Amino acid sequence: GHSTWSLPWAQRSDNEEQGGHGEQRSSPARLSFGKKQLPPIPKNAAPITKPASTGTPTQSANGTHASYGPFYLEYSLLAEFTLVIKQKLPGIYVQPSYKSALMWFGVIFIRHGLYQDGVFKFTVYIPDNYPDGECPKLVFDIPVFHPLVDPVSGELDVRRAFTKWRRNHNHIWQVLMYARTIFYKINTTEPLNPEAAVLYEKDVHLFKSKVVDSVKLCNSHLFDQPKIDDPYAISFSPWNPAVHEEAKERMFTYKRRPEDHHKGTQVSGLSWVKPGSTQPFSKDDGSPQS
Amino acid sequence: MSWLSRLNPRGPGSRSGRSAAPSSPCTADPETCLMVFENHWRQVSWVLEKHEPSSSSDDLTAVRNHTDQMLCLLAEERPAESPEGGGVPPMGPILELVVTENILECLVQWHLRRGLDPDSQGALLKLFEMLIGQSQQPLLQHTAVLHPLLRLLGACADPELGCPSALENSLVLLLNQICVSMARQPVVLEMLFRAAPAQQGSTNLLIFSLLVPFIHRDGAIGQQARDALLLVMAASASHEAVARYIAENSYFCPVLATGLSALYSSLPRKIEVRGDDWHALRREDWMCVSSLVLFMNSLEFCNAVVQVAHPLVRSQLLDYLHNGFLVPVMGPALHKSSVDEMIASTAYLDLFLRSVSETSLLKTFLRFILLHRHDNDTILDTLLTRISSNSRLCMVSLSLFRTLLSLNCEDVMLQLVLRYLLPCTHVMLSQRRAIRDTDLYGKSADKFLSLIPECCRLNAAPSTERDEDSAFWGKGDPSTESPAPPRPSTPSRLAFFIRQQSSGGGSGGGGPSTPTGMEPLQSGPSSSHPLSPDSPMHQQQTHTECLDWDSGYLEYLKDARRGIEHCSWACRDWSAPYDGENPSPNTVPPPPPPPTSNPSMAMFPEHFSFQQGGSSNTPPGQQRLLEQAPGEPQPPGDSNGQGISIEAFTQELRELEDRVKERSRPACQEEDTARESLSAERQEEEQQLSSALEVKLTGDTKGEGTVVGLCSPARPLNQPASQPYTGPFMVVLFAKLENMLQNSLYVNILLTGIVAQLACYPQPLLRSFLLNTNMVFQPSVKSLIQVLGSVKNRIEAFAASHEDFPAMLKKAQQYLVARGKVDWTDSPAAVPPLRRSDSLVKSRKPSLGDLILRHTNSPTRARHAAQLALAHVRDGGQSLHSALFKGSAGASGLEKQAEALRVKNAVYCAVIFCEFLKELAALAQEHAVSLPFPHSQESAPPPQMYWKNFG
Repeated sequence: GHSTWSLPWAQRSDNEEQGGHGEQRSSPARLSFGKKQLPPIPKNAAPITKPASTGTPTQSANGTHASYGPFYLEYSLLAEFTLVIKQKLPGIYVQPSYKSALMWFGVIFIRHGLYQDGVFKFTVYIPDNYPDGECPKLVFDIPVFHPLVDPVSGELDVRRAFTKWRRNHNHIWQVLMYARTIFYKINTTEPLNPEAAVLYEKDVHLFKSKVVDSVKLCNSHLFDQPKIDDPYAISFSPWNPAVHEEAKERMFTYKRRPEDHHKGTQVSGLSWVKPGSTQPFSKDDGSPQS
Repeated sequence: MSWLSRLNPRGPGSRSGRSAAPSSPCTADPETCLMVFENHWRQVSWVLEKHEPSSSSDDLTAVRNHTDQMLCLLAEERPAESPEGGGVPPMGPILELVVTENILECLVQWHLRRGLDPDSQGALLKLFEMLIGQSQQPLLQHTAVLHPLLRLLGACADPELGCPSALENSLVLLLNQICVSMARQPVVLEMLFRAAPAQQGSTNLLIFSLLVPFIHRDGAIGQQARDALLLVMAASASHEAVARYIAENSYFCPVLATGLSALYSSLPRKIEVRGDDWHALRREDWMCVSSLVLFMNSLEFCNAVVQVAHPLVRSQLLDYLHNGFLVPVMGPALHKSSVDEMIASTAYLDLFLRSVSETSLLKTFLRFILLHRHDNDTILDTLLTRISSNSRLCMVSLSLFRTLLSLNCEDVMLQLVLRYLLPCTHVMLSQRRAIRDTDLYGKSADKFLSLIPECCRLNAAPSTERDEDSAFWGKGDPSTESPAPPRPSTPSRLAFFIRQQSSGGGSGGGGPSTPTGMEPLQSGPSSSHPLSPDSPMHQQQTHTECLDWDSGYLEYLKDARRGIEHCSWACRDWSAPYDGENPSPNTVPPPPPPPTSNPSMAMFPEHFSFQQGGSSNTPPGQQRLLEQAPGEPQPPGDSNGQGISIEAFTQELRELEDRVKERSRPACQEEDTARESLSAERQEEEQQLSSALEVKLTGDTKGEGTVVGLCSPARPLNQPASQPYTGPFMVVLFAKLENMLQNSLYVNILLTGIVAQLACYPQPLLRSFLLNTNMVFQPSVKSLIQVLGSVKNRIEAFAASHEDFPAMLKKAQQYLVARGKVDWTDSPAAVPPLRRSDSLVKSRKPSLGDLILRHTNSPTRARHAAQLALAHVRDGGQSLHSALFKGSAGASGLEKQAEALRVKNAVYCAVIFCEFLKELAALAQEHAVSLPFPHSQESAPPPQMYWKNFG
């Protein structure tokens, strides 16, 4: 019954960027959400002409996004990623893959409820005709025991929330938000995991213990190698002060600045406008002037 | 050897050689020194104790010689060993003797009783200066040293009358030394302040009063005085009583401020300009104008005082600067009636703004510009109208606005643009929610890029002409490169264009034709970037099918990102987000309506045109009446188009204008001569396309500086006052933009630079107004995309009527590339040797516009560049000049020339236009992926805090 997805999302109280410092187990170096960065230009990629290995463009046949062009697709995905950061989704961290902007690695931390203490890694697959295609897929690395998660593939039933993916209205952060919500508000209609659905309805006790087992299972695989071999895949390792302490420190103290900030000798941030006023020089800046 | 002759050879400020004074037994042990000192003192005492002050020169010589020796000994004495546990080291034995016997007082008193001749004054001043400067132990905190010193100063100089000019150097140097040691021992300031009433000097802070008259002096003496005063300022910053004294009892602030006024009045009224690209005063420009150097020194000093002084002094100085310099001097200067003076004063103001680094001083300037009314108009209003004027004044004004925009100041932006957008009446009600939307899917970018005229996309020329200089060219602005001194300058436009032509042939289609594959591409492991290496960002460069026009697009994106990041960082502490909700459109005061009449118009001489927006209601007939384009005088002359150079272009323009001026009848003249030859077709087109009315306000030509008293309704008569209005700044910029085809290359570079600068601002109100091409505005509000569409049509019409357009376009590009290249290789310090493949290097080079405009300062370089350009251009067997200047054979020479100018402007316009569109597209895309910066946590620093971090 719900064709569009909307959720009142809770604003995180963190004053700074989202940075994954809440969770010590996460691999800090990987999670650089606070820092939006375009890929630097590979040094060797200046105007060399295209190598002979012109593998046939995989999407050219389908051509649905031809009108946007690669720049637009790239930027649309980057813009989606930017929106995710701006939303400051509680307990959710994502990182686009190194190899393809259409694949994002993520992890979700469940802090309350039935799935409390669950740490679920997942991968988001964005269709290559985004934003005009289907809704993105979200697949958990380990199929967590949940009515809406396929017990074999680990895929979350996203489509029920986004029956039709509508550009401008639907965004990837909503998918992530949805993935979080299912752990707090259990829905058993048309389940991908009928066993879980039935148990939830008929025997919550058993359901709960199965969930606990599932959470344990997931967490026991936390330090496994990432399922997908990618430099930007999220990997966890046991807390090692030698490695993590400094990284954690960096994350806490990190303040984003413009790239060329050090060069700026310029006076900036000038404002003498009193908040709430639209008159110039309305602010009493405390100087005894005038 | 007399101490006088020993000290004489030393120039002021030179410290060398003094400690090596041959006659001083400085290395001797303290006891021996004391004995020698006592011996000298005995002999001096003998003279001093004579009852009658002797007029004998023998006495004087003797006293001098002994004093010399004594003071050298005193200066070189080291303090005694510190007592255990540290603490203040006790005085050395000589100093102790000096203090207990009050030797210096006796000496000075003797001189005073005897009557000081200038020679002795000078000698004593020098001697004391040596003593203070060389002393190994603190002296001034001893009244036995301080009081005779003050007595001497009081005798040598009068705070009101000054001192004999022969003594000035010694006096200032001594005062400087006193201030230096005072800065080292803050207690001295207190003592100076307290000790003073006991002295003859009537003012508390004699030292200070003596220095003030030298504030604005030229040369070393002025610098020493300013340095010394600055030391007093810094020392008094935490000394309320002293600060109060300076503010209330000294003339420091008024002298400083009114001195600026005096210095300003001696600045050249007219700036001699060498090139037609000149538009702003750069350091190299003013370093050789002594009056300007003098002014800038004093302004710099004001800046420094504001930085270090006590808040009391600072605020008094700022008040004086506002009321004693800006309002009575700058205000009228900016409203002078002659064009030359307007150009000069605008350029000066721009220079001052760029030079000031202290926030509160900047605030004083901005307050003056934004709020002060001169003849009912704010300075800002006046400056705004000049954007639409003839090209030099327009360029200087644009340059000033570029400086203003680069400050990222909320107050400025509010007055210029935001207050007109705040009520949101410019957008359809249903669109208000879209104000915050960003260009998520590249729709706006696509729209901008689609406006690149077809005729400009064909320039992926045959590879024969594709030599290395076609690698890139761009545009931008000057002043990004900063001169050696660390003095803060305000870098203006950071954005620049780069374009890199791909080596593949263009395919002429709309977007990049083939989507890129996702196969991994090996590239160096690059740190933390969220997107993949085979993303288009990377592949773009390896993509042979890339269109010519988008092959340098990556550079624009990088630039746009830099610009937006910088801007949002700079705006992070603004009071509101300006997103269409905060401040609420419903509560904001209505912005001022378009002017119904502009009294200041009477100030304008001929050659000026005013452009108003919102003129869509003006019937074409009325417009025709107002426009005076037809029937313009056709200047005579001939064009023998041989070779091109910047000078030639300039010369050409100037001659043309001069001739027109000479021949002018009491008819109106065009601001741009080229416009005179507008074809009927062109006018028709303009009527169709341009709804911005351009009202020419011109009058009788009475020579330079003539004031024309002509007023006209500044907005179409039948436009209701409640029409949405985006403000004079946007209106004038858009009108100028719409006229791009007729603007000179340099005007267009500046103009597009300013629009791009505006488009960097992250405030949704402004961003959506400029960059959201899907936004629906009220009919009376012209959008940027509409304006650009109109320019596109004009370029295409022009191209269609000139069959050699593609060739000309290519030549124009080559010319700009060559010109830019010369410059880059010219300044190896700023830019590494050019390697076309190294995009990182390129991203740091100064922008092309910078380069183009910078030539002003070096005619030789300009010529060199032009020659180089020529060499390239001539490779093609046909010079750009002859290509551009190919007129119809039958036309008169002058018509030909005017036509040539028109063609030249149009061709350059086409070049700039395409780059501008890419820049805007890149900005639209980058806004969608930019993250806001958090409000800086630091609250405003308390007043007593120095603003050094801004310096």
